[in-house]
Amino acid sequence: MRGERAGFGSGMEVGLRGPEDWFFCLKLLGGRYAFEAALVSEVVRLGPLTRLPAAPPFLTGVFTHRGEVLPVLDVGQLVGQGAIPVKASTRAAIVHSGPWKVALLSEAVEGLIALPRRSLEPPPAESAGVAEFLSGVAQDKKGAVAILDLPRLVEAARARAVPAGSAEA
Amino acid sequence: MSEAVAEIVLFQVGVHVFAAPVRDVLRIGAVRDSAPEELVLETALGRPFTRERGMVVASAESERTLVVDQVIGFRTVPEEDVRPLPAFARACIPTGVLAGMLLLDDLPTPVIDLQRLVRERGEGPSPAP
Repeated sequence: MRGERAGFGSGMEVGLRGPEDWFFCLKLLGGRYAFEAALVSEVVRLGPLTRLPAAPPFLTGVFTHRGEVLPVLDVGQLVGQGAIPVKASTRAAIVHSGPWKVALLSEAVEGLIALPRRSLEPPPAESAGVAEFLSGVAQDKKGAVAILDLPRLVEAARARAVPAGSAEA
Repeated sequence: MSEAVAEIVLFQVGVHVFAAPVRDVLRIGAVRDSAPEELVLETALGRPFTRERGMVVASAESERTLVVDQVIGFRTVPEEDVRPLPAFARACIPTGVLAGMLLLDDLPTPVIDLQRLVRERGEGPSPAP
């Protein structure tokens, strides 16, 4: 399993407060999605996944990375828009969200992008599919990008998998 | 200095390979040697393709025979190769039958709590510990 720093070695300091905010951008469900860059620690190329018995469909499996077993989250499955295909070239972003550490499946990784804060607009009013987890939308040189509220998405996945009261978090 | 080791049995249900502590298995044999009411055919691990091999597991009231496609063999592994289930996976899977993950040649293999598996079968999953 090969890991790559998530674009952080290029002299860009994530978290500096300026007129721009840094996001990590990847392709999902045919579109560009970004989330707070500080949540990403690494991008890895996925090797063979082990499917877990009784796992919900969005929990695609687990793999080992530097001796650590990591779960793989498929946003497509979570929002009912079909599985993101896992191929030899598939990459995942390792993200830390609250107490959870997961590998987020992607169709392609774009890397860090800077978005001027003034360019961030509220998400569309629709609340179906992945739109339910958007905190905003923006435009940059490459086009439209949707901003994911990743902590909310990950927590919603956990809550959907195990109805309240049926298991401990 | 000797390292701590675990004795595990590797087995296959359908196309998937699982591991379990050897101590949980009373014996391994042909399914025909077990009474039909003792057989555990379909579980969270899936449904076996065949009904020939079984692993006999002690349960509270009697013995149960988990039907498997293949018993691959036994291994002695360093205990440090048995890792806990990742927290997010543990929080998303409504069963306690997954006891951990065994790293076999760097590939994670689910470690199954066989007693819990045969107990949960028919009862539905119970909360993870």
